[in-house]
Amino acid sequence: MSKFIIRRALGLIPLLFGIVIISFVLMKAAPGGPAQQFQRNPRVTQTQIDEWLKRWCLSADASPAAAVKEFAGWFGIYNCNTESIFSEKGGLNFLPSSLGGGGNGIIHGDFGYSIDAGRPVLEMITERMPATLMLTSIALILWVSIAILLGVVAAIKRYSFFDQAVTFFSYVFYSLPIFWLGLMMIFLFAVTLRILPPQGIVTPRAWPPFNTDVYWAAFGRNPIGAIIDIGRHLILPVTVLVLANVAGDSRFVRASMLDALNQDFVRTARAKGLPNRTVVMKHAFRNAMLPVVTNVALEIPFLFSGAIVTETIFSWTGMGLLFIDGVGARDYFLLMGILLITSAIIVIFNLVADVVYAVVDPRIRYD
Amino acid sequence: MAETMRPAETTELGVGPLVPPQLPLAGEEDFEIQLESLNQWQLAWRRFKRHRLALIGSVAFGLIVLIAIVAPILWPYDVTDIPGAKTYGGDAPGLAPLSRLFGTDFGGRSVLQQVLVGARISVEVGVFTMLIAASLGVAVGSIAGYFGGMIDGFLMRFVDLLLAIPFLFVILVAARFFGGGDVVTLILIFGLLSWPGLARLVRAMFLSLREMDFVQAARAVGVSDLRIAFRHILPNALGPIVVSATLIMANAIVLEAFVSFLNFGIRATDVSWGNALSNSQGYLLNGNWWWPFFPGMAIAISVISVNFMGDGLRDALDPRARE
Repeated sequence: MSKFIIRRALGLIPLLFGIVIISFVLMKAAPGGPAQQFQRNPRVTQTQIDEWLKRWCLSADASPAAAVKEFAGWFGIYNCNTESIFSEKGGLNFLPSSLGGGGNGIIHGDFGYSIDAGRPVLEMITERMPATLMLTSIALILWVSIAILLGVVAAIKRYSFFDQAVTFFSYVFYSLPIFWLGLMMIFLFAVTLRILPPQGIVTPRAWPPFNTDVYWAAFGRNPIGAIIDIGRHLILPVTVLVLANVAGDSRFVRASMLDALNQDFVRTARAKGLPNRTVVMKHAFRNAMLPVVTNVALEIPFLFSGAIVTETIFSWTGMGLLFIDGVGARDYFLLMGILLITSAIIVIFNLVADVVYAVVDPRIRYD
Repeated sequence: MAETMRPAETTELGVGPLVPPQLPLAGEEDFEIQLESLNQWQLAWRRFKRHRLALIGSVAFGLIVLIAIVAPILWPYDVTDIPGAKTYGGDAPGLAPLSRLFGTDFGGRSVLQQVLVGARISVEVGVFTMLIAASLGVAVGSIAGYFGGMIDGFLMRFVDLLLAIPFLFVILVAARFFGGGDVVTLILIFGLLSWPGLARLVRAMFLSLREMDFVQAARAVGVSDLRIAFRHILPNALGPIVVSATLIMANAIVLEAFVSFLNFGIRATDVSWGNALSNSQGYLLNGNWWWPFFPGMAIAISVISVNFMGDGLRDALDPRARE
């Protein structure tokens, strides 16, 4: 087992390196380029620009050698201040700082500065993370539970009216464009009925912007009011996410449950005269949940990457909206940082899904 | 072979009782038997017809394609021509009342017209993205699956890599940086990024099919690699490929709408369903529901019909699904 995990983890390294190269090439190939983008921001002074350009080995030089240097600097192998692969301390630059390495590059956790905001990318991402995690984790828990419930009942009552209704609505909600669904729900509940807020995480004017120091101070003074306020803002985006995702997952659970119900051991259990409830819940259900658990593990990266579509519609200032704003502003460092972090999370959770599957299913052997 | 002559099948075909066939001996005349033989496509069509939702879906999508083709003929006016304005009603007295059927937007432009003309871009994006992605996916997947070894390892690592990067993120970045509002560029971006999943599927099909006896037999009589791959293996993998292709098509239609909705897609001056939604977003809070509602319904209907079509094709093209 541990051998299997180690082998798979080692396999991740070339994959992660490939992701790093692809995101760099994507940004490098884009017209304009970071140096030009920096100049467009009026809030940034020329000395700051020069300092940044120097730090990231950015130059107007378009030669392949300059691009390689830029990549190596961004990755952290090359030190742009000493202009060599050695850091200021004299050690190889890719080593951790404590071992005499440098501090630049993504392998040292330095994702650079946002061109638009002029702040470290990592700081911006961690600041937005709580809002996204709050939205996505509530939605994920809800849609997985609902999907399991619907899928299992639909499988037990196969071809019944309930099963066909679930199938039909799954198709409809699976096909509806989620952003349009969001717009229509805003219109219905916020504009026409006026019972829910249309956008945002907190009510503007009544509360300071979410996840700022001022906000947490206000939260401390009136926690119940704050939670109610956020809760009201959560209802619409969570509903949209649940409706959009419960469809696919409930089909998955139904298929898995049907598969389990047709197994020989279920027939044996029935032949032994066990009550239907025991057969379904103990024999079939537990086996049907094996692939579902893996599927949920594969959905976890979504918690961090954020729901781009939903966050855009509901102006939910999380990771997804940060990314969209970054795309709009052509904020290279920010985009590269988000792409890298979310890809890494996806790759890691693919491994976790494999491991979880091996743990919950004793039949699987890895050697 | 024997399976195709089972009595059950012949009665299903509406043919009379089966005369027990005499085994043809070498050199003798073929036995005579009245059997209507159906080729693979006719069988598939029979199964497809039984799937009612799939039929409805195909008819609906056919209509949308038709609208996309004839919309400029039906409606030969520029989208900036405003219903009620002199140039408009004067030219087309028949269409002037119709143009207000779905209401008008803030500039007085007809929403119905935007829905009809917008079908063009959605159909274009859906169909051509699907064609590009399907050809790439089939090519890469079959090469990897048929030859195996180093080529397979290299191609599949590349596919893993593309699948590890969040698809929507890359689409948005690429559309923003390289798109420039052009339909062709957008189709290329979608097509060039949508194939890895399909390639993996095709490879898996090839891996299992190439070990089958009929492939061994073809190889033994000296059929070329290319012919084995395309004439012997590929037709057997067609069902999953077609289903996956319809999913890519449905996905591309939604993607275009979303990317245009965010103003990273089709030029704002062109008419597309996504652009109509994008323009309407700021006016929703005023209560102008009809403006986003109808283009959104158009997207939903096209996607649902494509999905139903794919579902029917899955059943129809599975050679083992015989009832």
